[in-house]
Amino acid sequence: MIASLLATPVNTGKLVVPHIRYLSILPPMIMIGGAVLLLALASLVSRPLRVRVGTWGTVLISGTALGISLWQWTDVGDHGAHTYVAHAVVMDGFSVLITMLISAAMLVTALVADGYLNREGVEGSEFYVLALVSASGAMLMGMANDLIIVFLGLEILSIALYVLTAYNHRRGASGEAALKYFLLGGFSSAIFVYGIALTYGATGSTNLTQIADFLAKNVLLTDGLLLAGVSLLLVGFGFKVAAVPFHMWTPDVYQGAPSPVTGFMAAVAKAGAFAALLRVLLSSFGVISSDWRPIIFGMAVLSLVLGSVLALRQRDVKRMLAYSSINHAGFILLGVESARASGVSASLYYLFAYTFMTIGSFAIVTVLGREGDGDHDLTRYRGLARRQPVLALAFAVLLLAQAGAPFTTGLWAKLQVVFAAISGGSVPLAVIAMVTAVIAGYFYLRVAVLMYAGGDDARADAPQPAGSPEPHAMISFASPEGAHANVTTINDELLMTGEAPAPFGEDLPSVLPVPALTGVAIGLCVGVTVVFGVWPSPLVDFAHQASLLFLG
Amino acid sequence: MDQYLPILLLGLLGLGFTVFSLVSSAILAPRKKPSAAKLSPYECGIVPNREPPQRFPVRFYLVSMIFIIFDIEIVFLYPWAVVFHQIATFGLIEVIVFAAVVFVSFLYLISNGALTWGPPKTLQSGLPARTSDSTISRISAARPEPGEAA
Amino acid sequence: MLHTTLLLASTRPALPDILVFAASAAVILVGAVGVVTSRNPVHAALSLVMTLFGVAVLFIEQEADFLAAVQIIVYAGAIVVLFLFVIMFLGVDRSEDVEVEPLGGQRPLAYILLGITLAGILAMAATSHWVTGAHQVVGPIQGHITASSSSPSGEVAQLGKQLFTTYLFAFEATAALLVIAVVGAVVLARRPPVPQDSESERAEGKLSS
Repeated sequence: MIASLLATPVNTGKLVVPHIRYLSILPPMIMIGGAVLLLALASLVSRPLRVRVGTWGTVLISGTALGISLWQWTDVGDHGAHTYVAHAVVMDGFSVLITMLISAAMLVTALVADGYLNREGVEGSEFYVLALVSASGAMLMGMANDLIIVFLGLEILSIALYVLTAYNHRRGASGEAALKYFLLGGFSSAIFVYGIALTYGATGSTNLTQIADFLAKNVLLTDGLLLAGVSLLLVGFGFKVAAVPFHMWTPDVYQGAPSPVTGFMAAVAKAGAFAALLRVLLSSFGVISSDWRPIIFGMAVLSLVLGSVLALRQRDVKRMLAYSSINHAGFILLGVESARASGVSASLYYLFAYTFMTIGSFAIVTVLGREGDGDHDLTRYRGLARRQPVLALAFAVLLLAQAGAPFTTGLWAKLQVVFAAISGGSVPLAVIAMVTAVIAGYFYLRVAVLMYAGGDDARADAPQPAGSPEPHAMISFASPEGAHANVTTINDELLMTGEAPAPFGEDLPSVLPVPALTGVAIGLCVGVTVVFGVWPSPLVDFAHQASLLFLG
Repeated sequence: MDQYLPILLLGLLGLGFTVFSLVSSAILAPRKKPSAAKLSPYECGIVPNREPPQRFPVRFYLVSMIFIIFDIEIVFLYPWAVVFHQIATFGLIEVIVFAAVVFVSFLYLISNGALTWGPPKTLQSGLPARTSDSTISRISAARPEPGEAA
Repeated sequence: MLHTTLLLASTRPALPDILVFAASAAVILVGAVGVVTSRNPVHAALSLVMTLFGVAVLFIEQEADFLAAVQIIVYAGAIVVLFLFVIMFLGVDRSEDVEVEPLGGQRPLAYILLGITLAGILAMAATSHWVTGAHQVVGPIQGHITASSSSPSGEVAQLGKQLFTTYLFAFEATAALLVIAVVGAVVLARRPPVPQDSESERAEGKLSS
């Protein structure tokens, strides 16, 4: 206190400013910059922006980010992995692969969202702005070399996702889901920050490499503070990846969020959070892996078992996919638990496969949800193969891939994490994982069988006319004319017209229009899943190389 | 120890002010308690059968959001101003980038009418089905022109 | 909190420091309890102000004057005012009926978990002498500074230097966070667009009344 009275002049002389290698931070810069430009455009033109403008803008922005990350990949290959911008970010194979994954996920999501936004008649520009910034947050998590950056990425990702969850005002379920997500997410973020504070207290730094340095050079005799910090960090991560003790929000939020957002959330939030989790655990706390491996082991077992068992009971397809994503999180945790380079590459590969499978699945769910996006009961999928064979085939492929069928990326993903677990010495975990894969196979197959075999019940159903009012209560203020105008603009040639109006609330499956861009997105997802499933070596090598270039 | 004397004095001053306010309002306030009739809202002589809704327009919320956002921006500007001479151009560029990005959010708020005041323009959009009551209340509030929107 | 006490313990504080800490800790705790127990949401928000004020005093105690000022201006000033606005939207006279439990047995379970957690923290704090890495970083951030220059302006300058060197990237990323906050607030606050009156009405539907 006395020292504060002796006011000393501010230290003069130039400050050494950090050298910025822009290539290392270019993809998130492009995402944020593009989002800001889109926002400025939407603000400056007097009328609301057309959805198409947002879609193509987002495709362009995320495509550019994808291209830049390819450039980063060659650069990392030539010069190796380094930290940049005052050691705040790291550019290594791992971060570049995550960046690529997130850019691709954003691109595909933009295609899916286009059809959705047009169908629901909601404004698009903010949707794309939020999604782009959210994706940039996930990228920050993937490239962060400082717990502060991890936290900022987490918050940017999450806050945008909370809002996206509530994006469709007409669905009461969306608002409820967003509130749940927000409250629980805010709580978990607070726990995460507390974990950062305790870790800082224990190690004297928030920088991941400095933490690793400190832990390598100092033996902590009583490490309660550090362990408390690490476990609180794990709580924060566990919430974001929806691993089991912290999974409570997942089914409600996945069900309530607009379907394209659900796919985006499932893919991008998992990719970002798992990337940060892998980096924090392996590069900073690799020395104390014997302390955190049992925790991850427990989380993995619980996620695997609860995710697959509870998914069996679901009648709603989105809820079922939510529980299946918990199961997937358990599988990815297998790679984390092994605490070795092969585990990192297996987890990366799993994330890659999972991203395309899940976005594709939710794209199909979006189409089949009809206007209002509330129609996800399992019975709706009965006999889908007869009405829409291509869509049913695509969904079947994606579901089988999630189950781990041969000739899909799903099989290689599951095999790799299981091998990683075995090589890490966790044979029981590998066995549990394989058992739950069989259980999970049942509910994936059930949907597939329902689509192909259960065609008889759909015979009496008349196609739903385009102009009939939506039975959902939240939409009651929307007039039939408005709904009609919206639908007819989407896809005139695919629309069924001229049918007699059907009574309210009846079970009415019909041929649902697949907007062209959504079709492209589904095709991309199925293509990636099958092509790299049949010919796995490039992607496996890619993930392997990425983990070799992991700056540990 | 004597460094804490000003704090103590400030605390006493605050306490004194609080006591003074409470005591003076107790002394100076009218003794009589207002009757129930006096407290009831005036609605053309009709006894109101439900509490009038006491809600703020959501614009207040947006205004306070703007306040917080730019509050936080200025919090960042203060340390920058202190070290401005040491980081010179580099710092200026970084701060301009930061401020420009935040400024776009301001543009967005303006374009969404967060700072547009005046008669409520979209009251009719959220109203339920039209009844005679609602028509009577609507006549008083003039419908806005379509082009008036921000 | 716990961390703070440990740091204070390790540097052997003078009596006034302990007194200030105890007083502000009491203020913080009373405020925090008030937030969760008061029936009236406005009282809860004002209790939060009390807690935030106590935290600001703790910041001053740690010679983080700038943070204390930010704490008062941003949190106690702006954010609580925002809370109050939201409370006003929802109706200030409405007190929540907290007796109804949607899930039975939640409340006793919460008390039990609270007790276990508290006992665990206290037991850990009492029994183990925790090793911290804080020896290198006692004083202002990252220990680049000598003890003599910890004057208020020096502290802000130190913060500024850190902000534009070590945490430059974090600083810029914050801009994205702020933008998201604004966009999110507007998206959530605006009314659903009304299809029946075509485009002009929809443009107006953006306008939140």
